Amino acid sequence: MPNKTGKVLLIDDNDIDLKINSKVIKLSNFFDEIILCQSGEEGIKYITTNLENPALWPDFILLDIQMPEMDGFEFLEIYKHFPQTFLDHCKLAILSSTLDFGDIKKAEANPLVIKLLKKPLYPNELKELLDRTTTLLGS
Amino acid sequence: MTSPTVRVLYIDDEENNLQAFRAAFRRQYEIYTAPSAAEGLKIMQHIDIHVVLADQKMPNTTGVEFFKSIVKTHPDPVRILLTGYTDIEALADAINHGDIYRYVAKPWNDLELHNSMKNAYDSYVARADLKNKITELEKTNDELNRFIYSISHELRAPLVSVIGIINLVKMEGLYNSSGEYWNLIETCSNKLDYYIQKTLQYYKNTKDIPDRSEIDFSQLVNELIELHTYADKDTTFHVNIIQKAKFIGDAFRIEVILSNLISNAIKYQKSNELNKTVNIEIDVDEFEARIEINDNGLGILKEHLEKIFTQFFKSKIHHGTGLGLFIVKEALNKINGVINVSSNIEDGTTFKITIPNAK
Repeated sequence: MPNKTGKVLLIDDNDIDLKINSKVIKLSNFFDEIILCQSGEEGIKYITTNLENPALWPDFILLDIQMPEMDGFEFLEIYKHFPQTFLDHCKLAILSSTLDFGDIKKAEANPLVIKLLKKPLYPNELKELLDRTTTLLGS
Repeated sequence: MTSPTVRVLYIDDEENNLQAFRAAFRRQYEIYTAPSAAEGLKIMQHIDIHVVLADQKMPNTTGVEFFKSIVKTHPDPVRILLTGYTDIEALADAINHGDIYRYVAKPWNDLELHNSMKNAYDSYVARADLKNKITELEKTNDELNRFIYSISHELRAPLVSVIGIINLVKMEGLYNSSGEYWNLIETCSNKLDYYIQKTLQYYKNTKDIPDRSEIDFSQLVNELIELHTYADKDTTFHVNIIQKAKFIGDAFRIEVILSNLISNAIKYQKSNELNKTVNIEIDVDEFEARIEINDNGLGILKEHLEKIFTQFFKSKIHHGTGLGLFIVKEALNKINGVINVSSNIEDGTTFKITIPNAK
């Protein structure tokens, strides 16, 4: 069981999916805080405003791909410029319903994306991924 | 009906010829004339010429040289070469490099030249029509692509949300709270999702040109098994992959083929079989990949074996979509692969596939 620590940041323009996914995470008890952002811009803003305060940093981000204005890939383009200490601390996975081969390959090729999870989000899949990441981080 | 305006440019260094030409054809055509290739080019830069005639023998630039020089910049006007000499070399050159439509001997016969210009114009129109059709087709194709892309997102996203909600209902222990209703909703949602996925696979297969990427069969097969056994862990897989050489092939289609076969092998198991097994043997060398997928499942009736690769074929008992194996076959056709099947109700089914290595 992953220890219940830290914060997860969900970025998705679809409020129903935000509700569903935060409920899944809450019920599975993987994180003690869930931060919801309705757009890529909002996600960037949350991180930027809290950069000086590591206590508020998310430990994990679940990012949607298809969003109006700033999509997941555009988010990543900005995200990669955050300080290395932040990027080392926070792991990011894509959570999308996409079946587009190009999108999938592009997501897998991005060095900041540790995995592409497909919607719907299954607790077991997320648990496996979190277990793997914590061993990777050696903590 | 008014006949269309046909714009003809005639280039010749002899003023007499130009005058004779104008006199003979000014009623039927909109005539432009030029005493040299350079002057002719100037006219072409400003006016949309349909048919261009040039004399071969001119002081600075010959007719053929002129035609050669405008192949790239003015590809549309149809070219006719006029010459008083039977200069074989010039003719060969004109045909091979000047892209000429007709050769007319001087002095010309009015009727013959008129017919040549008329035919040349028809050819111009036909080419222009074709060009428009191609542009139209490209546009339609582009729209279709965007439509398919939006199906894969807009149509599927809410469905996936529904499946997510059913999932939550299960997590909260409410799944059996309303009789079988949740179960029915789940069955319908999964079916719809399956149809959307297969439709996209089919469409992508018919459209995309084969790509070439390196394929690691071991990794691919293990990923696919992981994906498909997620919901159903009853089946045991025995995988034996010997990849002796680098394999280059179409990643998307090979994934679609293996994915459909693995999914079928899991789906069509005997429900009372305690030892549900799927064996996958893959042998890859520099020429081809030989793949064998064998299961001890339900098997296929002999009379059905011939039909399983046809679209929308489904057996009465097992409720598939009738798309999976059809897509497998179509995808294999695109990459020159071959599939064979042997099956009986007692032992299960074996699919044997060969895919050439595109290295």
